[in-house]
Amino acid sequence: MSDWTRMPGYVSHREGPEMPTVTVETGRIREACEHARDELGFDVCVDVVATDYLEWGGKGVSGYIGTASGRDLMHPMTQGLQVLPEIKPKRFSVSYHLLALQRGAPRARLQCWIDEGEHVPSVVSVWPTCDWHEREQYDLMGIVFDGHPNLERLLMPEDWEGHPLRKDYPIGGEPVRFSDEQ
Amino acid sequence: MSAVAPPTTRRWPVVADGQYDGSRIPSRVPTILDVPADLRDTDDVLQVNFGPNHPSTHGVLRLIVDLHGEEVVGVEAVVGYLHTGFEKSMESKTYWKGVTFPERIDYVGYQNNELVYVLALEQLLELETPTKAKWMRMLLCELNRIHSHLVFLGTSALELGAISMFWYCFRERETILDLFELVTGQRMHTRYFQVGGLAEDIPQGFFPECRKFVEWMPHALDDYKGILDRNEIWLERTQGIGVLSAQDAIALGQSGPNLRASGVDWDLRRDQPYLHYEQVDFHVPVYAEGDVYARYRVRLDEMAESTRIVRQCLDKLERMEGMPWIADDRKVVLPPREELHTSMESLIHHFKLVTEGFRVPEGEIYVAVESPRGESGCYLVSDGGPKPWRIHFRAPSFVALEATATCLHHALVADLIAVVGSLDAVMGDTDR
Amino acid sequence: MADEPTRLRDYGLQSERLLWPTKGPSRFEEEMGADEIERALGITTLEKAVRWAQTKSMWPDTFGLACCAIEMMSIVSARYDIARFGMEAFRSSPRQADLLIVSGRVAHKMAEPIRQIYDQMLEPKWVIAMGVCASSGGMFNNYTILQGVDRIIPVDIYVPFCPPRPEALMEGIIRLHEAHLAGVPPAYERVGVAT
Repeated sequence: MSDWTRMPGYVSHREGPEMPTVTVETGRIREACEHARDELGFDVCVDVVATDYLEWGGKGVSGYIGTASGRDLMHPMTQGLQVLPEIKPKRFSVSYHLLALQRGAPRARLQCWIDEGEHVPSVVSVWPTCDWHEREQYDLMGIVFDGHPNLERLLMPEDWEGHPLRKDYPIGGEPVRFSDEQ
Repeated sequence: MSAVAPPTTRRWPVVADGQYDGSRIPSRVPTILDVPADLRDTDDVLQVNFGPNHPSTHGVLRLIVDLHGEEVVGVEAVVGYLHTGFEKSMESKTYWKGVTFPERIDYVGYQNNELVYVLALEQLLELETPTKAKWMRMLLCELNRIHSHLVFLGTSALELGAISMFWYCFRERETILDLFELVTGQRMHTRYFQVGGLAEDIPQGFFPECRKFVEWMPHALDDYKGILDRNEIWLERTQGIGVLSAQDAIALGQSGPNLRASGVDWDLRRDQPYLHYEQVDFHVPVYAEGDVYARYRVRLDEMAESTRIVRQCLDKLERMEGMPWIADDRKVVLPPREELHTSMESLIHHFKLVTEGFRVPEGEIYVAVESPRGESGCYLVSDGGPKPWRIHFRAPSFVALEATATCLHHALVADLIAVVGSLDAVMGDTDR
Repeated sequence: MADEPTRLRDYGLQSERLLWPTKGPSRFEEEMGADEIERALGITTLEKAVRWAQTKSMWPDTFGLACCAIEMMSIVSARYDIARFGMEAFRSSPRQADLLIVSGRVAHKMAEPIRQIYDQMLEPKWVIAMGVCASSGGMFNNYTILQGVDRIIPVDIYVPFCPPRPEALMEGIIRLHEAHLAGVPPAYERVGVAT
């Protein structure tokens, strides 16, 4: 479980508080998923999530003050000064959350990065449950999965234009009085 | 019900498999049952639309069904009629204000959604919640599990014709909602779990009322079993219907009661414990048949187990009078209102937290809990600011509906109703 | 109203049968004679009697969308019984229903089915917008939620809160009954919507 470097298309990995995040080359994500399922024993794909990092860190966020012990004065760039979050390689990340049905419930997150217009190989042949998850991410984020048998809109009406969850898509709705601040 | 095979003959957690040979997942598209080639283009197949508004009570699900006489030969589920854009809406709300959104996703098991959101935030913030808050959260989530299973039982039985079950189940449901109202002030969508603990202390009078409910619930469960368990019509309509094998269930990502009814012994409360589940004693019901009847029995048994858990939580909580119910960290948690009159610092904290919100360190996290429907998860990406950058909820009902095509192998129209009801999909959870 | 009302349809009843323009008088009218009805029953009493009958058995349509649907189901349950108002018969077919309780948030994808169902209902018909999501979009002011179901169908009663307690919904229903008894026409007449 801990030797991630043997995964096809391995780029890097990072240990997180609750599960490791393994970054994989986009073109080889299907092989990586097969490796995860067959060699490493991750039988269940829990979730497929895409995140849009457009303008990530565009406006710096102030240092965080919400910790268990309060503000850490020794931490650089706190006290209200601007801090920039870690730079992301490309615009979209597609994360596959995996679960192994074993003692201790080991989990892992496979991540691949794409830019606008790039396609991701579909992993429906590896885990059939990804069918609707990938359709939902196509619908809401506009990420095209190559090899998906039925890539249609799922949640929005079929004739909807645009992909609502992208950062350049407005929240919509109506202006309400006093809504300038929030 | 047959006994479950001993675990030594199969690889845990699959304790029973072989409900049918091979896989029934449709080969072209896993979630669409295609009309067989010999029936396509004939006049014998009628396409019927079980539209978003239909007599059965599980919400706005649309099923496009191809019927050959009475048999279902093709099915496709169309969802999205309740898509609310939770994920996008929450990106524009601070974390404290945003706690009202997750509740409305799975609107029958609402406390579990709040819990998963709050747990994700607390892990990113590395915030410790007081033990009293954890026990109370467990108690409320288990009461919510009983509530959700009661709604499932009442509405599924209503759809299959056992109409009086609806009134019996809702009688207990009203008692549970009274308990919620006693504690939180609201029957549904309670907004009681906050980052750091609970919004307020547990009021006086809650523990005796909860004890009364816990003493009464086993009698109510006996009532339900008395109505349904030996009812020939119920048995005929649920046994052997909508079978899902263990391998197919795992491949389709099922979790919760749907998975346990197919012979897979997996429960996140026991296998990846959160809150204080490792300190309570409860049994995880697993059944081998994988049919509608097995799912019904799993949920019925879970109600009994949840009552046991609630009783144990009550024992612990009654001795925790006067302990803190929310973390002390004023950078994240609102100060109590009495302090606002006397302390300047509390006033500033309150102001900053309500207007700007607390900031969460940069990072991404995925946290899952065992909701009444299965594994409910929250994936949160934070950029270090006061609002989430990306938040995504893993909905167990979404995944459960993917299994409709696999469960409807040689099914009749009446079985379709039974199967969709037994998968216990809440459309708010599916469409988010 | 220039002429004295002599036909049943002139009393404002609007069933499809009576709006049939070339239909002759009913057997009841023939036997008793038009002015006999007036004398025997009195005009206002007939109207009131019809309205009273309509309020006592106003059958709702099973139109639960979201969380409010769960509270709507609990008014059928034994504690907040609406069978005492004659309304426990939730009809699944809109053609048999009088009352549409829109309970829950209305997505744009769902707007078309709602309008179709409203059109399939027969007059007289009423609409209750239950909960804040149906009344005004509620807490969801975004790309996918219709900001109030009164954008597409005329609404008689708005019941706020999220979700309304069953007693609040019953208050809304009772007010609807009272309004109807008092002579307030259903919303489609006030708003002038083509039904």
